[in-house]
Amino acid sequence: MSEPILIAQDLVKTFGEIHAVRGISLRVARGEVFGLLGPNGAGKTTTISMLTGLLEPTSGSVTVDGLDLKTHTNQVKAKLGLVPQELALYPTLSARQNLNFFGRIYGLRGKELRQRVDEVLHMIGLADRADDAIEDYSGGMKRRVNIGAGLLHKPEVLFLDEPTVGVDPQSRNAIFESVEALNRAGMSVIYTTHYMEEAQRLCHRVAIVDEGELIALDTPTALIRSLGGGILIIGVAEGRAEDVMDPVAQLPTVKSATRSDSQLKIETHRLQEALIGVLDITNQLDVPITSIEMLEPNLESVFLHLTGKKLRE
Amino acid sequence: MKALSIAFKDLQIFFKDPGAVFLLVLLPLVFVVVFTGALGAIGKGEEDARIPLPVVDLDGGQSAQTLLGKIDAAGGVRVEPYAQAEAMALLDEDEIDRVLIIPADFTAGIASGQPATLRLVNHPDADAKQAEAVRLVVDGVANDMALEIQIFAALQQMGEMQAGMPESSQAFAVERMQAQARSQFERAQTQPLVAVAQREPAQEAEQEESLGLGDIAVPGITVLFVFMVAQNTARSIYDEKKVGSFRRLLAAPMSKATLLGGKMLPGFITGLIQIAVIFAFGIVGLRLLGLTPATLGNDPLATGLVVLLLALCSSAFGILIAALARTEGQIGGLGTLLVWVMGLLGGSLIPLFILERILGPVPMVVPHYWANRALIDLMVRGRGLADVMVEMAALLGFTVLFFAIGLWRFEFD
Repeated sequence: MSEPILIAQDLVKTFGEIHAVRGISLRVARGEVFGLLGPNGAGKTTTISMLTGLLEPTSGSVTVDGLDLKTHTNQVKAKLGLVPQELALYPTLSARQNLNFFGRIYGLRGKELRQRVDEVLHMIGLADRADDAIEDYSGGMKRRVNIGAGLLHKPEVLFLDEPTVGVDPQSRNAIFESVEALNRAGMSVIYTTHYMEEAQRLCHRVAIVDEGELIALDTPTALIRSLGGGILIIGVAEGRAEDVMDPVAQLPTVKSATRSDSQLKIETHRLQEALIGVLDITNQLDVPITSIEMLEPNLESVFLHLTGKKLRE
Repeated sequence: MKALSIAFKDLQIFFKDPGAVFLLVLLPLVFVVVFTGALGAIGKGEEDARIPLPVVDLDGGQSAQTLLGKIDAAGGVRVEPYAQAEAMALLDEDEIDRVLIIPADFTAGIASGQPATLRLVNHPDADAKQAEAVRLVVDGVANDMALEIQIFAALQQMGEMQAGMPESSQAFAVERMQAQARSQFERAQTQPLVAVAQREPAQEAEQEESLGLGDIAVPGITVLFVFMVAQNTARSIYDEKKVGSFRRLLAAPMSKATLLGGKMLPGFITGLIQIAVIFAFGIVGLRLLGLTPATLGNDPLATGLVVLLLALCSSAFGILIAALARTEGQIGGLGTLLVWVMGLLGGSLIPLFILERILGPVPMVVPHYWANRALIDLMVRGRGLADVMVEMAALLGFTVLFFAIGLWRFEFD
């Protein structure tokens, strides 16, 4: 990994009795797209809030480009760009007025401000609608302005917090392309999402967060490879899972198996061979099958493997 | 600079909202017109605006009654009969400002042409201007009455002369009548039949005239509506938090104080714009409508300082509402409740002298009271900066208090 631009050390955040983040440490390399993957409520947004100086950690530290966030708050903040999950814009103002404002609060003035606003308007493809009020835009256009507002001051690290929530497929692709283009231009990006396919497509490395803890951190390829073949989820008649559990666990292609009353979760080296073996056993024991789900190795199945639950539960 | 950027953006948003502009800038003008015109007599109407004149009538005769009737009808002074002991006791206790004493032999004396002296006793702390006004009325009525009696007596004397000399036409000569009248008039000037002896007040005291709603309309409505801007400030902060732009502002390289300052500034500027519009309308618009216009008073600089403090206090109040209210409904409810209750309690809609009479010192707990007192003193009573220092200090105190509590309770996260 090249020189880190951002280092978080043992970040902890508690709200009264609630432990939102429990000791997260991570390093983001210069020019890296770093994914923060986890279900809703996992602590991603709290982590982002601490990394961007919005929330003071209960303990732990953040340094950006060698500067401590606590002691050099404004210097660090000037290096960061935040694109919140919400459409954090002023709907009655135009895109140009919004961008002018966000540029000014990052210290841009005069000609430099006008140039950057024009550049960003072109970048997000809204130069011809720049003077229309935001409230008259489509959802996708608003998302693009939302991202543009975080880019005006050319941040060294851009935080994108669930940027594709509620976005149509076309706009989602446009956002992916924007992120890839910004990264090609050398910007480091920290991208939070609960869509594993986004993390898989965009991120050089992914940190998987659950219940405030970092449970895995590696490249998507390495994380998937760690899982092996994949996961089979077999639904059976109520109370019959116990009958097939032992023979299934003894199949040579099965790494491990767990069960509930009506479901078997089987980790396997080879998905198709394992499925054939399971079907043979259920036929022999006359156990009715209610559903079959085959999870190819991906970040979703990695998450399931690590936490026992799905990303979107 | 960043605070100014936030303020500029908020003002852009404000002026794109016609409803907010109407509510905060134009609606006050409607209130000013209604209060100055249709409701202008309220406050004055309830009170007899004439200066009260307690009277001890030791004579009780016809001339004394005639004198009192004429004083009461002269305008500006209201006769209130008292027993002597009661009047003197009340005067000692400063419950009344003056008492007019009619001597026991008043009617008999002037009937026989003997001079009589009315005694007008003022309390040492009585308002000198009021004392002078009362003296002029009593003097004028007494002189007119004495002259009337003396001229009538002269004419009666001429009639008697004519009766004693029926053959002489000399008694009816115009020259003779004119000479007699002139003689009586000169005598009335040098030896008045009814004189007024006055004990002067020692010093000029607090002016306690009762002002009607019409007199306080411009300052009262200004104070009421400037504090309504506080609700706007709170709502703007709530909206920023709701859409997430507040997180974006917190992520920017600026301090929380700059951020809060930037959110206060538009309220301050909007307040000053409101005040400028209401004052301009009060001075020019009311005159054009044929109503009594407002003035900036004898010390416009002091008026300017008070309105700066008023706008500042209102914007600090906005931060307080934003800190205390958790939902949009709470901002609306709490804001409306506080602004209207405080406005009512602080004398924006009811003259202060009525509130003070009913509630005693209670109105002092709201900033509106101090702002209204200062503006009424400056704009209506024509007083100066030195006279409103206490009111200005109170407004500054409220500003600091609101901001401190707001900052303490404000949730940035």
